[in-house]
Amino acid sequence: MRIELKNFTKTFGELTVIDRLNLTVESGEMIALLGPSGCGKSTTLFTICGIHRMNGGSLHFGDRDVSDLPSQKRNVGVVFQNYALYPHMSIRDNIAFPLKVQKEDAATIARKVDEIAELVHIPELLERKPAQLSGGQQQRVALARALVRKPDVLLLDEPLANLDAKLRLEMRSEIRRIQLETGITAILVTHDQIEAMSMCDRIALMKGGKIVQLDKPDEMYANPADQFVAGFLGNPPISFVDASVVGDTFVLGAGEIAVSANLMGRVPSQLQLGVRPEYFGPQFGSGVAGKITFVETQGRENLYDVTLQNGTVIRSIQPSGQSFALGDQVSWGIDTDNVLAFSANGDRI
Amino acid sequence: MNRRTALGFGFLAPALLVVILFFLAPVVLTVFFAFTNMSTSTGIRGGEYLLNQSILRSIPEDAISTETRNTLENAGYQVNDQGLAKLAETVSPATADELRSLHGGARFDSRRDMERALKDLRENRIRSTRDRKAAADLFNTSILNTRYNTEDAFRAALAGTNVPVGDHDALTSFAYTGWSWTTENMKLLFSLDSSYRYAANTALYVALTLAFNVGFGLFLAISTFYLPPVLASTFRTIWFLPRILPPVLYVLMWKWFTWDTGFLATMTGYLGIAPRNWMLDTATNAWVFVVLINGCVGASLGMILFSSAIKAIPTSMLYASEVDGASRWQQVRYIILPQLRWPILFTTSYQTLSLLTSFEYILLSTEGGPGRATEVWALAAYHTALSNYGGNLQYGLGAAYALILVVIGIIASLLYLRFFNFKELVSKPRIEQ
Ligand SMILES: Nc1ncnc2c1ncn2[C@@H]1O[C@H](COP(=O)(O)OP(=O)(O)OP(=O)(O)O)[C@@H](O)[C@H]1O
Ligand SMILES: [Mg+2]
Repeated sequence: MRIELKNFTKTFGELTVIDRLNLTVESGEMIALLGPSGCGKSTTLFTICGIHRMNGGSLHFGDRDVSDLPSQKRNVGVVFQNYALYPHMSIRDNIAFPLKVQKEDAATIARKVDEIAELVHIPELLERKPAQLSGGQQQRVALARALVRKPDVLLLDEPLANLDAKLRLEMRSEIRRIQLETGITAILVTHDQIEAMSMCDRIALMKGGKIVQLDKPDEMYANPADQFVAGFLGNPPISFVDASVVGDTFVLGAGEIAVSANLMGRVPSQLQLGVRPEYFGPQFGSGVAGKITFVETQGRENLYDVTLQNGTVIRSIQPSGQSFALGDQVSWGIDTDNVLAFSANGDRI
Repeated sequence: MNRRTALGFGFLAPALLVVILFFLAPVVLTVFFAFTNMSTSTGIRGGEYLLNQSILRSIPEDAISTETRNTLENAGYQVNDQGLAKLAETVSPATADELRSLHGGARFDSRRDMERALKDLRENRIRSTRDRKAAADLFNTSILNTRYNTEDAFRAALAGTNVPVGDHDALTSFAYTGWSWTTENMKLLFSLDSSYRYAANTALYVALTLAFNVGFGLFLAISTFYLPPVLASTFRTIWFLPRILPPVLYVLMWKWFTWDTGFLATMTGYLGIAPRNWMLDTATNAWVFVVLINGCVGASLGMILFSSAIKAIPTSMLYASEVDGASRWQQVRYIILPQLRWPILFTTSYQTLSLLTSFEYILLSTEGGPGRATEVWALAAYHTALSNYGGNLQYGLGAAYALILVVIGIIASLLYLRFFNFKELVSKPRIEQ
């Protein structure tokens, strides 16, 4: 079911946390609310499920205006960061709870619980108590409970934050699998860009209570709307370098690169260049000279920090098996076609 | 004992001392008193030996022979050497000599006869009646009405009479006025109808007050939980007042409220109801107020305990139940109440014990009245042992009452310990994540 937030405003006392936010999630789509801590992701999510009331704007599920409905009547499923399982109930009762409060008959409840347990792969855990489950299993239970009454929307608030790295990988694909199998419209709140990029159809990147950019993950990565977006996406992150334009070259602190064709003629004399680590290295020729001040071995790849003469650091990621060492003086090139240019106030050029 | 245990005991010593002094000692003393017949008349130190008419009369028929009885009662007066020696000493040897010559060896049944004999003196008249009476006493051979400080003195006096030796032991025990060991208290307790009445009253009192405490405490905790924070804490403070108010003041307010010229009577007076003391008017009224007075105090404790337990429930769990579709009532019923299970059980058990032994609010409000309608066991113990209208405080019987409570309390505590498995209760957090 399509979710449509229009001019959504949320204030806590004097503090305006969300200011006229607009967001549309298409039916069956999974979208990520991504942003730094405190940007209002949870607030947005809690408003969609009705825990918080809106101070302005409207919310529609499909054609239904749910702006003023209490959360009980919205038919949303929510997975909380700490799972919020009911500790005194068995797993079966936990999952059955949304059906039980709707007074469905016992046989139907049992059948639906079994179905959903099958879907999230926990049929053998139903008689246990939450305390007897691992984090990943609790996560699956929370998902099952959120999905059991076939909600119109599924909301996930940092569902993977409490899991260890391996489980996080596993649950990432599991949640996506379940979302695709059920075809449910889902919103995932996260501050982990990898989670957002790997699990969702589109990403809404938030900052200070506003959506800065809403796009497909690869599009957002390749074409960030501004410096903030460019800096937020990508790991290792993009490097920003002050540059001035002299003729058809960018002059950096220690070197020069050519202005690419698509930027030619559109750039001001002073600007910032964004260089992603995969576009800086010896394979792109030479011209930008500096010293390797940091090396991080990641197995398949190595990560290098190259410090230019004026102190600017440009990161580079290279296949492993190369002979660069800490302290080496290098002169590497930059893939000019993939350089991002930003004006002094951070706008994309 | 190694140094570490010694150190441990060293640190514990003050606590142990307090436990022994204020917990163990009272229990031991209660047991001790419960098996004595101590009262105001026996004193608590041990007593003298005394026989008098009323004690003689209280001795059962077959305990001593009729001959003994007669001998004791009619021992009368005899002009013997012993008495004459005393007379010589207190009045004059001449008087003694004259009396010897007149009545030496004579016996008189009553003091009057003895006095008459003294009037026979011619040369050494004893003029004042008082002196004559005093002189007559010197010849008294009866041991009635004389206090003897030790058993030996009493037995020696008995030996000086014609009482058959076989009755000496029985008489000695009846003559003892101090306390003695007895199981009579327990027998009496179980034979008195009033005991069963008090037991029933206690059960009623504990059950009703407990229900009110827990029920109302829960209601307050849950309802204030859903109020805005400022309003909630104001409410909680108000409801906590009964607990921090001195009991005398608190009960006095209830008395003002229910007096026949008090608030309630005045208000109902407008409805044309004759003014009355609403608290002591009928037994039912008294019970209502006893439960309310105690309940409001207890409910505030329950409220605090339950409130903090509710606050310990993670907010996200409450949010989860709301988006799961649970109404307020379902949220209370399925999420909050089950998680209050331990606090509720704890409060219930704790308050059962404290209610069993508490009587101060009843004492201050109804004093067990009207009649004995609200007299609970602990209050009966207090009344018997420490505040008896008759004036004879029966420490022994009172302690017997108290002992029953001690026994019930210990049994209940042990049961609770088993039932709740307190070890588990304290070692595991009750709200699991
Ligand atoms: N109940 C509240 N009262 C007042 N301010 C609040 C309340 N809840 C959130 N805020 C404020 O609103 C802002 C957004 O909070 P929100 O929880 O939505 O952030 P978030 O994006 O989810 O951050 P995080 O990634 O740390 O969870 C924060 O500045 C926060 O301090
Ligand atoms: Mg959050």
